Amino acid sequence: MTSAATAVRAALPRLLTTLAPYQAAVVRIGVAGTWGAYLLREWPHRRVLYGDRSPWSAELNDRLLADTHAFTALSWSDGRWWFEAVYLLALLSAVAVAAGWRTRASTVLFALTVLSLQNRNVFLGDGGDNLVHLMAIYLVFTRCGRVWSLDARRRARRPGRDPSEWGEPRAVADALAAMLHNCAMLVIAVQVVLVYAAAGWYKVQGTRWQDGTAVFYPLKLGYFTPWPELSGLLGGSLLVTFALTYGTVIMQVGFPFSLAARRLKNVLLAVMVCEHLAIAVLLGLPFFSLAMVSADAVFLPTAFLLAVRERLAGRWAALRAGRRTSGAADGTGADGAAGVDAGAGTAVDAGAGGEPVGGRGD
Amino acid sequence: MRVWSTPARVVLVVAGVGLGACVLAFLGALFLHVAPANSVSKEYRDQVDWVVYPEFEQNWKLFAPDPLQRNVEVDARVQTIGADGQVATGAWHGLTAGDWAAIRHDPAPSHLDQNLLRRAWDFYESTHGEGDAQAPDGSRGRMAERYLERIALQRIGPGGDRVIQVQLRATVTSVAPPAWSREQVDTAPHVRELPWWPVQAEDRRGLS
Repeated sequence: MTSAATAVRAALPRLLTTLAPYQAAVVRIGVAGTWGAYLLREWPHRRVLYGDRSPWSAELNDRLLADTHAFTALSWSDGRWWFEAVYLLALLSAVAVAAGWRTRASTVLFALTVLSLQNRNVFLGDGGDNLVHLMAIYLVFTRCGRVWSLDARRRARRPGRDPSEWGEPRAVADALAAMLHNCAMLVIAVQVVLVYAAAGWYKVQGTRWQDGTAVFYPLKLGYFTPWPELSGLLGGSLLVTFALTYGTVIMQVGFPFSLAARRLKNVLLAVMVCEHLAIAVLLGLPFFSLAMVSADAVFLPTAFLLAVRERLAGRWAALRAGRRTSGAADGTGADGAAGVDAGAGTAVDAGAGGEPVGGRGD
Repeated sequence: MRVWSTPARVVLVVAGVGLGACVLAFLGALFLHVAPANSVSKEYRDQVDWVVYPEFEQNWKLFAPDPLQRNVEVDARVQTIGADGQVATGAWHGLTAGDWAAIRHDPAPSHLDQNLLRRAWDFYESTHGEGDAQAPDGSRGRMAERYLERIALQRIGPGGDRVIQVQLRATVTSVAPPAWSREQVDTAPHVRELPWWPVQAEDRRGLS
């Protein structure tokens, strides 16, 4: 009993530090990247989807909003140029969040623009939009720009005072922000668990999931078959269909419990990412799949994320070096290399206190 | 490690307890919202709805409890009146057929083709369970009718003559079970023809 109490006492100060900075950064980059790519893809259709040419007219939406009280800045004016400004701002804030530029402010703007567009017509979205909507709000409360961001790079170049030299008011403020961050990361993790648990447990009750044919049916729907030949090929096999159907349910139902077993959790994560990639292609839902994978990333192990970063940084440095030796020595190469070094420095610093929410001890 | 003064400790503990309580309450509400209707979620329905709506709504019944097993194809046609007062009924336009053609071989289908009409029809169906009679003014059902009407008008486009009415129909076809299944499913198309809806000039506002 006393040993448990001491363990809790020892763990408490850690809650005052920013946990899981890498997972926060990956979720930030993934969610903002997904939404940014989506906005670019819809650029030609933006006015019909969310703007002045929408069949879901501003009057219709105003009537719905009076009922639901959802937030959208687009209800302030139904003119074309206000809409264009909001859409452009949405795109720019997605880029800023993905790059981690003035992260706290840009996440607020990002969340407001996501809500503005999606609540302009709530009859447009799918599960992916729903997830982006939620994550955009949660990210506001995180310190998702701690690492892998322009903010982190700037901090590394112009380091402030060491935290141990801070006065108490500043230290308290920092601890409060860290606590808020940790709570938001917990909410993100639980949200992902809720998605899979709900999706899995409702499937268990379905006769098609029980008789092993469920995966066959979406492959025959006109709205979800961009590659009918491929879908026909996959849905044509009894064993493949059965394995995918049962595998999906087992994975979704089992995922929440796998969090207690680190290795199993990581295997399931890898399988789920693969399944989402398959869904992206087969059902023509790339943005939905990207959003799901981005949210799943909250459970990726820190060691894995650091290894990926190491490899990318290595490639980047090699690329830079190659360019420099090939004669383009105009100073930008050296500048970039310094940036990479500085980034690695912050990564190590933050890594000391950082641990993933999902997998303790990763 | 930093040693906190008593006031700092008080602030941190109060904030920690407060944040923890908020997070627990929030996640509890999300859980109750996602879970099947149960004794607790019925008892605290107002509180759960207060947290979840409008911005934290969740629908994760992705392809559950059963995946969609039918294709719905929506067509629309218009009735026009010429300068000479002659009324003419146009041919059916395959709205869904257009969507499917646009999705085919597109690695990243647009929400315009994949979701707009599909979900508008879902909205209509969910508000017109009892039939296709016009829904009461100001109701969700009426909004769904107006939305579908405007989608049809936009896709058919302004012809030469003035459009006075628009009509929609939906052809519902069940997906045949897989070849190895011994199940018998009626795969004959079922047509649901909606009544003609009158079109005023203001119904077209912003469409072109």
